[in-house]
Amino acid sequence: MLSLKKTADGLRKFVSAARSHKRLFAGSIILFVFYAAAIFADFLAPYDYRAQSRLEPSAPPARIRFRDSAGDWRIRPFIYARRLTDPLARSYVEDETQIYPLEFFARGYSYKFLGLFETDLHLFATEADGPRINVLGTDALGRDRLSRLIAAARFSLTVSPLSVLMAGALGILLGCLAGYGGRLIDAALMRAADVMMALPTLIIVLAARAAFPLELPPLRAGFLLVSIFVATGWAEMARLTRGQVLAVAGREFVVAAYSLGMRPSRILFRHILPNMRGALVVQMTLMIPTFLLAETALSFLGVGLQEPEPSWGNMLAQATDLQLLRAQPFALLSPALAIFFFVLGVRLVSDGLKKLYRI
Amino acid sequence: MLKLISQRLAQSVVSLVIVTMLTFALLAAAGGDALTALSDDPLASEATLEQMRQVYGLDQPLIARYWRWLSSAARGDLGESFFYRASVSSLVMPRLLKTIRLGLIALGFAWALSLALGLRAARRPGGWLDRLCEILITLAASTPRLVVALALLALASNLSLSTSGSVALPAFALSIPLVALFLAQTREAVGEAMSEDFVRTARAKGLSERAIILRHALRPALAPLITILGYSLGSVMSGSVIVETVLNWPGLGSLSVNAVRSRDVPLLMGVVLVTSMTVFIGNIIADVLLSLNDPRLRETRARAV
Repeated sequence: MLSLKKTADGLRKFVSAARSHKRLFAGSIILFVFYAAAIFADFLAPYDYRAQSRLEPSAPPARIRFRDSAGDWRIRPFIYARRLTDPLARSYVEDETQIYPLEFFARGYSYKFLGLFETDLHLFATEADGPRINVLGTDALGRDRLSRLIAAARFSLTVSPLSVLMAGALGILLGCLAGYGGRLIDAALMRAADVMMALPTLIIVLAARAAFPLELPPLRAGFLLVSIFVATGWAEMARLTRGQVLAVAGREFVVAAYSLGMRPSRILFRHILPNMRGALVVQMTLMIPTFLLAETALSFLGVGLQEPEPSWGNMLAQATDLQLLRAQPFALLSPALAIFFFVLGVRLVSDGLKKLYRI
Repeated sequence: MLKLISQRLAQSVVSLVIVTMLTFALLAAAGGDALTALSDDPLASEATLEQMRQVYGLDQPLIARYWRWLSSAARGDLGESFFYRASVSSLVMPRLLKTIRLGLIALGFAWALSLALGLRAARRPGGWLDRLCEILITLAASTPRLVVALALLALASNLSLSTSGSVALPAFALSIPLVALFLAQTREAVGEAMSEDFVRTARAKGLSERAIILRHALRPALAPLITILGYSLGSVMSGSVIVETVLNWPGLGSLSVNAVRSRDVPLLMGVVLVTSMTVFIGNIIADVLLSLNDPRLRETRARAV
């Protein structure tokens, strides 16, 4: 009984906290969903994202039905098999003679669950000998678009936060150096940061990318993108850190620490840095969309992550096919929606953090 | 004023040299040049390749090559594109004008919209328009240009509109993140100005709210808006890459994508030089505007870039 009351109390506290930090709460939920999808990608995706099906290029999204052609309702949702009628126009007809019900926790391709144990369980699929169910249709090579969309989250959602952590660390380091290390270093670093911020970053990134072979395996492409982003993205953080260091360095407790004979490095780490934690964290969250967009832009242009590996960017490259775009706008733009919602989640979190830290 | 401009010009030239030097070194360090692809060609013998390298000056050390590029660039000669077989400046210039036109329309639209909305919303903080602005900022900031451009493409193809040649669609796509940036800045700056003493005085004089905002609150609020205008030029240039590629606008952005795909080093160098130059000049213009807006800035040294 007591524990029930405690739980209710905790719940009430949680609800009131969520209510006063709506944005932070909503944003966290969005980000949680995205990362959960990325972690359980193999379970959620019905098919291997590389598996091609040459007989079903650019198929429209499967229509999931509850009512068969005779007009009877079915408890289990089902699909019809479909056949390509005109390969040029990419039109399909549904064959209504046999129904193929959806199976939940179905068997499919095998993978390592969380990298630990082998399994072949998937959230949903059709039975093994039936037609494939492509909730978002297929791409030009007949690969399941939903599976690719989910698999793509893994790349996009690692590269940008990783770049943010590293670029942020570099920026904080350089900012502390500038704010704390004397006039000459300060002037040089801040001039460099100003130039960096004024530059058309994407064009510089493109130029930097051109210096390396266009075709790269995914891991190396990821490394390359992270290092390019770190090299170009530290400036804003350095500027902010320097400003904060200078602002905090003049306050009484720092002067007191200094007059007590504390070492400068100790003052920096014990007194100055903790005081600007909030601003730095908020700035870091604001950097995530920037890098994510740069990554998707590069992949979209064909110089980021390359086929057959999926990324939201290179999936969107297909959406420039006007005929297809007119036929299935939603399916083709689903990666764009994913990008939008992820960025929205990040922005909500950073807005919420801003309020939390009272910046 | 002249002193400010010349000082800033000198700084920009130094920055330009550094930027192009780094890009040049990076492109050279990657090893391989436009001729590497030719070495797979059985028709091109080693001797021919050597000869071509000599013709293009690719056999000289890096510093010498950079110096040659820089000195001819200073004379307006950016070399010849490997891919298009045309002089880089003849490729870049018309496209630069196209991109500038696109960028100016996008910036103008974003500025006009955010000033119109922001000033109106400032009359009643917390009113419906103010809250609408807040939602608009969050939405616009979360909608990347790539997404806007593709959505516009889908819309246009569904309405069977032609996307080529029209400036409206790419300009709109380019301006969306700017709207978020400018509107947020306008709200903040006007809101800050409205709590100043001179606004209280104006109110006490019995001025209408409209006159207070337009005559007293707008001017101090313009300063951060102009500063942010200068900073957003780089983002406009970056954004033009995506927007121009998706919506078929023949500007610098789409040219730079082609240059990367064909690893056309002279063309890339030209694009980097010209875009950075545009951004720096834009920043100087922003500084001049800033000092025109605020007489106090004319005497002191302006913001450094």
